[in-house]
Amino acid sequence: MLSFLNARQSGLDDPVRLRRAESTRRVLSLELNYDRDVDRIHANGINTLDIEIVEGRYMLSGGSDGVIVVYDLENSSRKPHYTCKALCTVGRSSRYVHKFSVETVQWYPHDTGMFISSSFDKTMKVWDTETLKPAEEFQFDGNVYCHHMSTIARKHSLVAVGTKDPKVQLCDLKSGSRIQILQGHRGEILSVRWSPRYEHILATASTDSRVRVWDVRRASGSLFTLDQHNGDKSKASSEAVNTAHNGRANGLCFTEDGLYLLTTGTDDRMRLWNSATGENTLVNYGKVVNESRKGLKFAVSRGCSPEFVFVPCGSSVAVYGLHSGEQITMLRGHYNNVDCCEFHSDYQELYSGGKDCNILAWVPVLRQPDIEDEGTNSTKGGTQAAVNPAFEDAWSSDED
Amino acid sequence: MDQATRDKLSELVEELTTSGEPQLDQDKMKEVKKICKVSNDYIDHFYHLIMTQLNQEHAEIRLSAFQMVNELFSRSHHFRTLLITNLQEFLELTVETDVEQPLPPPKEVSRKLRTLAIQTVQSWHAAYGEAYKKLSLGYHFLKQIKKVDFHDVEARTLGERQRQEEKQKRLERIYKEKLERAKQEMEEMTAGIEETLTEMNNCIKLLVTDDLNLFSEEPSTFPSSSGSEDTSEQPCCSKDLSHEQSKEITQEKSEKEEKDECSDDSDMEEVPEENVFLRSTGLMSHKYQLELSVATDLNMRETEENEALVNTVRDLQRLITTRHLPLVQSWIQVFTKVGVEEELMRRATELKKSLENTLRKQEHLHIDYKNRERRVMRAPEEGEEEDDDFEEVPEKEGYEAHIPEHLRVEYGLDDVSSTSSSVAKPKSSQSAVRNSSPVESITLSRLKRKMRDEEEDPTCAAATMRVLRQKHPLAPPRSVSGGSAEPAAGSSDQGDRNKEEAPIVPFGVDLYYWGEEQPTAGKIIKQTSQHQFWVPHEVEEEVDNKELSEQMKSRYITFAGTFKPVEHKCRTPLANGSLCERQDRVKCPFHGCIIPRDELGRPINPEDALRLEKERRKREEEQPDWRDPELMREIEAATGEDLGSSKTFGKGKKGNKGKSKKKYPNLTDLKQSVNTSRSRLEKKVFNKSSMRRVTEVMNKMDKRKHEKFANQFNYALN
Repeated sequence: MLSFLNARQSGLDDPVRLRRAESTRRVLSLELNYDRDVDRIHANGINTLDIEIVEGRYMLSGGSDGVIVVYDLENSSRKPHYTCKALCTVGRSSRYVHKFSVETVQWYPHDTGMFISSSFDKTMKVWDTETLKPAEEFQFDGNVYCHHMSTIARKHSLVAVGTKDPKVQLCDLKSGSRIQILQGHRGEILSVRWSPRYEHILATASTDSRVRVWDVRRASGSLFTLDQHNGDKSKASSEAVNTAHNGRANGLCFTEDGLYLLTTGTDDRMRLWNSATGENTLVNYGKVVNESRKGLKFAVSRGCSPEFVFVPCGSSVAVYGLHSGEQITMLRGHYNNVDCCEFHSDYQELYSGGKDCNILAWVPVLRQPDIEDEGTNSTKGGTQAAVNPAFEDAWSSDED
Repeated sequence: MDQATRDKLSELVEELTTSGEPQLDQDKMKEVKKICKVSNDYIDHFYHLIMTQLNQEHAEIRLSAFQMVNELFSRSHHFRTLLITNLQEFLELTVETDVEQPLPPPKEVSRKLRTLAIQTVQSWHAAYGEAYKKLSLGYHFLKQIKKVDFHDVEARTLGERQRQEEKQKRLERIYKEKLERAKQEMEEMTAGIEETLTEMNNCIKLLVTDDLNLFSEEPSTFPSSSGSEDTSEQPCCSKDLSHEQSKEITQEKSEKEEKDECSDDSDMEEVPEENVFLRSTGLMSHKYQLELSVATDLNMRETEENEALVNTVRDLQRLITTRHLPLVQSWIQVFTKVGVEEELMRRATELKKSLENTLRKQEHLHIDYKNRERRVMRAPEEGEEEDDDFEEVPEKEGYEAHIPEHLRVEYGLDDVSSTSSSVAKPKSSQSAVRNSSPVESITLSRLKRKMRDEEEDPTCAAATMRVLRQKHPLAPPRSVSGGSAEPAAGSSDQGDRNKEEAPIVPFGVDLYYWGEEQPTAGKIIKQTSQHQFWVPHEVEEEVDNKELSEQMKSRYITFAGTFKPVEHKCRTPLANGSLCERQDRVKCPFHGCIIPRDELGRPINPEDALRLEKERRKREEEQPDWRDPELMREIEAATGEDLGSSKTFGKGKKGNKGKSKKKYPNLTDLKQSVNTSRSRLEKKVFNKSSMRRVTEVMNKMDKRKHEKFANQFNYALN
């Protein structure tokens, strides 16, 4: 750390370098922190989380009871202990609440005055944050599994929607109509993602175990289909050709720079693809348990020098090195399946929501050498008694 | 880390967890704590040991492990952090947070474990919740998501409550169905029951009044008199009679008295003065006491007149007792169980009450039913005419001990001709038989009846014999019954003695001509031709055949000797320690030829012993194929009885099995409770090989069908 500071001071290093090193360190020390709580509002499982990128202050959560909550993540109390308060809620009592489980929520990328939610009640609603009333409502024929809006788009304001129908629908917020259909999949669309690099590039994952990458300007079809065997026909059986996974492909995530695409499938695998060529990079993450029948929301860290992937894995969140494929740690804290996680790149914090109705904040453990020391070396408990009496050992003398 | 201490720790943990005790052994626990105190490495090891034990499918092991966890949890920070990082699994294993993973049996212990675990988690939360975030998360998880009520003494988890609710719901549904059914039944049946009731009441009324009317000459006055009794205008103290009593009067005598009074009343009513009273009645005073002893219960006798009524009453009574009353009672039961509106309940109880009342009334009648069985049996209309045709004869069942002399012939018991086609009995023995024990005589009588039947049948040999007997009334019987060479004229004493000694032999032609020359013995008589014109020129009418005549005169007698009961026993030593009790003459079906043995069952002769030993060894070598070792072992495992499979097969396996069985003798054996007849059957029925066998057979049957109907397209297709 000191050497980094020194190098930065003397101008030897790129300014990014220190930042990256520090954020990497912080990500590596993510822990369930007692000082950070999130209000328990949801009475049912939490399906989706989204942190806005304008200020990085507000978080949306959608529950399987149709409730949507907005949290304030910023701690302005100047105390280490902070409970993220729920600012406003679209509760069951609201007239506009989703009838069924909310599957995806997303802030409007350029402004916190608007957000979009989609639900199993076959609707997608565009909400006004101030009034908590839907400004626009899209009706679909089947359950809406996911939607996504490009974070960088300047030339269009399209929302890609994946429903039970194999056609990917593009809704234009400007006109309020469904303007385009992308045909090619043969199963339900479980996940859609816009590329953070090119505003017209869209990736979709479906239950037909294929992941397609589209250019929405092209009407004829997808650009390419990700193939787990990289076109090696001898390895693939005839029906498994051009598939990304052997089960349902249910998770998609671009890296921050948009160069790579991560996919997860119910074959308990996670794959990293070159998003430009569609080539499988063959990074082996090992077994990533994934039994979700819906889309899986996972996150990639931003601004670290080796990047990390946070994947819900049973009742814990697994942290992998993006390019190494090595499992770094398991974040255990939920008592039931974890459905989604969201990375806060400003503070290197991770928020995860699961079926146990908890939203857990995983916060880097600040540098407190005495506590770390105490944590690893408890035999000398007596000396650290001042820190927290609960960390003390309590051997009675008669056990000698 | 010291390997020896480590092993010691493992050993201690295993001992403690498999003790099966509800409380931990304090000394051993102290030792564990002493080891764990030394270093965190031991705590790590201890943690892993405990988690493996907690994963065991046995509630007692889990309970003990949980207690140990509790001991260390309060002492070591390191252990706390270890446990809390894996609190989900820990809660799954102890509090049953996952409905898919219920706590293992035995049930009582698992319930105790859960209660204890919930209490402990609460106390942990109180003590350490501040410091360990995950602990408090877990606590909230239990409290809010799993809805564990920490104050609930039962400490029922959500799943359990759900199950209970479901059960409750199911019960309610069943009750509701029952209620609906009962209501419907009630709707349907009430009319019928009421009808029956009125019918019954009417019948009873009719019966009683009918009885009264029989005796009273002025039927109309009687009710009026009984009605006006309360006016106390009556001269006699018939006021003493209660209203009901007067109604129930039946006895003839009392009836007559009453009748007198009645007639008096009718004369008297408008003449109140004493003189007039005296004049008209001849009674001196108003103060006569006339006591009527009236039996409260009636005695009704069934007569020709009231037969129909009584029949109806009887039928109705039967209907009520067997059908209506139980039905109503079941309704009431259902209603009380479910709790319905007052109205329905009241109706049901009223129905029941009236039914019971009617029954009681009917009982009071004390109807003296005729024995009606036969009447019921015969057809109501045509019976009369048929009765005329057929004289009613009391039915005869089985043997009649004494048969009158004049009926003897009819019964085929002709005392002179006790001949039968098969058995000839001495006369004395037969007379003795007649009074002998019933069993014997019943068979005898049956035999006789059969014989009689045979004699009446003209196609039967017995009939011919009878005819013969009638033709030769004198000579043959003697000779037949005698059965010995002694002529009948012999002195009676000697005859008796001879008869006792005489053997019983089957009857034959030689006996028929006993002591006579057989006129036609061995002669073959050829019929002369009846033809008028054509006659064979030489006809030998009689041919003497030596052989035939010998046959006619001779008699085969077999000397079988006498039966001697077997004295000796097999006496082969059995598996249960006793000796074989079979008394075969030469060879025991189980143990071969019977040889002399001493009191311990050992063969006395050395060569016998040698031979037996050899045979035994030979037998052991070639086990019969039905004693399939696999099957034997299976059966043994299922029944728990030793069939001797381990004795003869697989010596290596035996030791192994025994060891695993007695590994933890203190724990409750989970399999024992499972060892029910049902489970054993299940094991047999659903075991793989038998299933395969069954499917094979069924497939074969299917195939056969297909082959049979192969040219019919609808069979050929499937």
